[in-house]
Amino acid sequence: MGVLLFISVLLVAACGLIYELVAGTLASYLVGDSIFQFSTVIGTYLFAMGIGSALSRYLNRGLVYRFVWIELLLGVIGGFSSALLMLAFAFTQGFELILYALVIVMGVLVGLEIPLLMRIVRGRYQFRDVIAHVLTFDYLGALGASLLFPILLVPRLGLVRSAMLFGLINAGVALWSTFLFARQLSGIRGLRAACLLVLCGLGVGIAEAKRITATAEDNIYADDIILARDSRYQHLVLTRFKDDLRLFLNSHLQFSSRDEYRYHEALVHPGLAAISVPRHVLVLGGGDGLAVREILKYPQIESITLVDLDPEMTRLFSTHPMLTQLNQKSLLSPKLHVVNADAFPWVDSNTDSFDFIVIDFPDPTNYSLGKLYTTAFYRAVARHLSAQGFMVVQSTSPMFARDSFWCIAQTLKQAGLQTYPYHVYVPSFGEWGFVLAGAHEYSAPTLLPSGLRFLSLAGLPALFQFPSDMAPLAMPPNQLNSQVLVRAYENDWKDISH
Amino acid sequence: MKVGRREFLGLGSAALVGLSLKSERRIEGSFVNDSFQMGHLLRDRAAFPAPKKVEKFPVVILGGGIAGLSAAWRLRKRGFTDFVLLEMNAQPGGNARWGQNEITAYPWAAHYVPVPGPKAEYVRELFEDLGVLKNGQWEERYLVFSPQERLFLFGRWQEGIEPAVGLKQKDRDQFQRLEDLFAGFRKSGAFTIPLELGRSAEFSDLDSISFSDWLQKHGFDSRLLNWYMNYACRDDYGALAKDTSAWAGIHYFSSREQEEKGPLTWPEGNGWITRRLLERVGENVRTNQMVHRITQTSRGVQVFAGETEFHAEFAIFAAPTFLAPYLLENFGAPLRDFVYSPWLTANLTLERLPDSRGGEPSWDTVFLDSPTLGYVDAMHQSLRTHIDRTVWTFYWALAEGAPAQNRQLLLERDWSYWKEAILHDLERVHSDIRQCVSRIDIMRMGHAMIRPTVGSIFSEDRRRLAQPLGRIFFANSDLSGISIFEEAQFHGVQAAQKALDKLSRHG
Repeated sequence: MGVLLFISVLLVAACGLIYELVAGTLASYLVGDSIFQFSTVIGTYLFAMGIGSALSRYLNRGLVYRFVWIELLLGVIGGFSSALLMLAFAFTQGFELILYALVIVMGVLVGLEIPLLMRIVRGRYQFRDVIAHVLTFDYLGALGASLLFPILLVPRLGLVRSAMLFGLINAGVALWSTFLFARQLSGIRGLRAACLLVLCGLGVGIAEAKRITATAEDNIYADDIILARDSRYQHLVLTRFKDDLRLFLNSHLQFSSRDEYRYHEALVHPGLAAISVPRHVLVLGGGDGLAVREILKYPQIESITLVDLDPEMTRLFSTHPMLTQLNQKSLLSPKLHVVNADAFPWVDSNTDSFDFIVIDFPDPTNYSLGKLYTTAFYRAVARHLSAQGFMVVQSTSPMFARDSFWCIAQTLKQAGLQTYPYHVYVPSFGEWGFVLAGAHEYSAPTLLPSGLRFLSLAGLPALFQFPSDMAPLAMPPNQLNSQVLVRAYENDWKDISH
Repeated sequence: MKVGRREFLGLGSAALVGLSLKSERRIEGSFVNDSFQMGHLLRDRAAFPAPKKVEKFPVVILGGGIAGLSAAWRLRKRGFTDFVLLEMNAQPGGNARWGQNEITAYPWAAHYVPVPGPKAEYVRELFEDLGVLKNGQWEERYLVFSPQERLFLFGRWQEGIEPAVGLKQKDRDQFQRLEDLFAGFRKSGAFTIPLELGRSAEFSDLDSISFSDWLQKHGFDSRLLNWYMNYACRDDYGALAKDTSAWAGIHYFSSREQEEKGPLTWPEGNGWITRRLLERVGENVRTNQMVHRITQTSRGVQVFAGETEFHAEFAIFAAPTFLAPYLLENFGAPLRDFVYSPWLTANLTLERLPDSRGGEPSWDTVFLDSPTLGYVDAMHQSLRTHIDRTVWTFYWALAEGAPAQNRQLLLERDWSYWKEAILHDLERVHSDIRQCVSRIDIMRMGHAMIRPTVGSIFSEDRRRLAQPLGRIFFANSDLSGISIFEEAQFHGVQAAQKALDKLSRHG
């Protein structure tokens, strides 16, 4: 009996420590500042244990009966603490309140355990042995728990199921105590029934833990994150809300599947449809394959070269089922040749010529990207244009970043090209702008590919009209040694967001 | 051997601690391009081998730095190809040498040329030849990309090196007043590049006091202003303002138009110009040719290098002029106004970019109050958008104290000493620099550049060497008293032209 008794001390101690660790860890995960969270959780917990120990003196009769109930209560509260905290964070404003309330309740209950146990067994051993044995197993349990938690429990089970597993242990100790101390108990049947009920409840909880976690996480992020990946070059996040797929690169929205057709039809067709017999097309950036999807609508095109820095991006958009559905497997076309390279050096070293060039880079948010919007770059790209060739440049928003848009237009002009700026409304982006540029005069297309959802011949001229709130501004060209565009872009968005 | 329990525990825990010690990234490197030994052979008048063969050229150029290469460029541009250029080191270029690793090319010393003004005709002609200047436009790729410079001061970064943060009204007033004075000097037309075209006796008194005395005399006591003036003197002359002629200090700020365009630069710095010049004149260049003696008669010049005796009608002495008294017989009165500043440059290979405390990566980075001059990023002129590894060229003019003592220090201290000194300096701002650097190569230069000491600009020595010594024309930039690309190129081209003129006259 002695050993069994002390093993239950060990288990109880382990449970107590696990709940404390779960609370500290969750608070750190969700709120951040782990030093603050762990310190306050541990402090509050220990203090509550002190309250529990102090209160133990007021329990005089039916000690075993009360001990079993305390174990059951701890099993329920501790076992569900993790799930409860996650849901509290996801659905309420009062995460901290619930956190510390839980910590106090659990601390008080844990604080009651050891004094009660000692008093239950004191008749059987000498006082000094009780103290020595109980405390020894108490600390051993704590050691075991603190090693198990980071090494096995968190990585294998996760926080929700770990807490529930230890709730099961608490309830198990309760059930076991009804056998161990049967002679000191009355109403054993009722107690055992309650124990079984709690055990079943926790068992179901463990089985359903995934759903609880998922419910909570869904509410923590507005949309489902279906993919988050760090490539060597950027942080890719793909989210879905109902039928809306969104791609974020370094937290900047790249497209929303609900309206990207507006963007990509406007990016490609005004220029490409105006070229009589386009055969070779170059796409710089655009690893999502959406521009390529539009380009493939011209059967006479023989080859498309796609240059995108990030192999992870082109791989993802050639393999992920949701994404290949969106780009209609354009990246798997036999006409397509994918090159994963930095655009500027590639443009410098390649000698091919193209009838149409699509330049679809992320906005000039930093000096590195700013190099891809300079006169030096556009001059280098223009050398690849065939006699009838045109290029089109994604040029940020003429509405929100008006200086930037007209700076890009001026840069293309400075590079010796004739420019034809236009714009389109894309709901998820707002008003968006492009600049067509070439060595000769542009005349609007007389035919568009069939099956377009947005562009029409009748609607085209309106794209090239700029109302007065987006009208041209006199801007200097962007050059490698000035990088005025990056500064203008930063200013433009500062005006909007503050 | 019997191990007791106590010993076992002791050993065991020692082993655990040993295993768990954090290991720092190993930093490789060495001294490179040392040329002390050869210089000291000359100084100590060592015995050199007797010549075994004779080669004849109408012109021999001594020294393959920018002055010598420019002389060669001029000769070939004029259609004259029958000459030889003798370079002591394995690699030509002098202060425009470069290095290359698997990441990028990088400079070993001079790393930019300011956009030349209208008076620098030879420089403009060269840049047209090299495609840097096309139809009156500077090639965008060779102008330094933005952001250009940053200064770390008072725990933060600012763009540009002239302090603009933490200035009191007094500082601002002094910066403005000084700029107004410089504008006046600029307007006078006496501070030009090339220096010789403008230098006028009107301002010769400025050469008789130090730059720091001149600043003090005019009431400039702002700490930040004085730091900046000292920085400028260390950067261009390797000297403190108190060791620099006021004329030279003023020249630094008054010789160039306030240009919005940045200077011209390349990943390998002025090494790019060296490479282009070598493409044009390389077949006339011989390296590892240590000249140990030069004699002349009324009919010609004899240049002794290794076991060869070169016979020439004229020689262009483009090596540092302080070597002339050791090489030339009957050189005449010893040189007094030729003081040289000792320098150290280091190239650091970085496997990743260190923490920059929020600063935008720039071309040139300087720390306020550092004894060093900071560093230049060789990948800054890269056209790539994604840069993970790079090479930094770290500059350190040993300006505090006497040049001779500092030369001694350069020789005595080992590589680890300088490596640590460099890392300590960088660590003040880039706390994780040791985790990023994999290699530090260090180049020590005892006589890196001429120092424009008080009285040196209008010195008698300089006036004497502007004239040929018999059949020998001097061409090093130290003839101007300041060591910049434009001066080296000017004197090189001029010497070549004089030699050509004489040759055609002698027919």
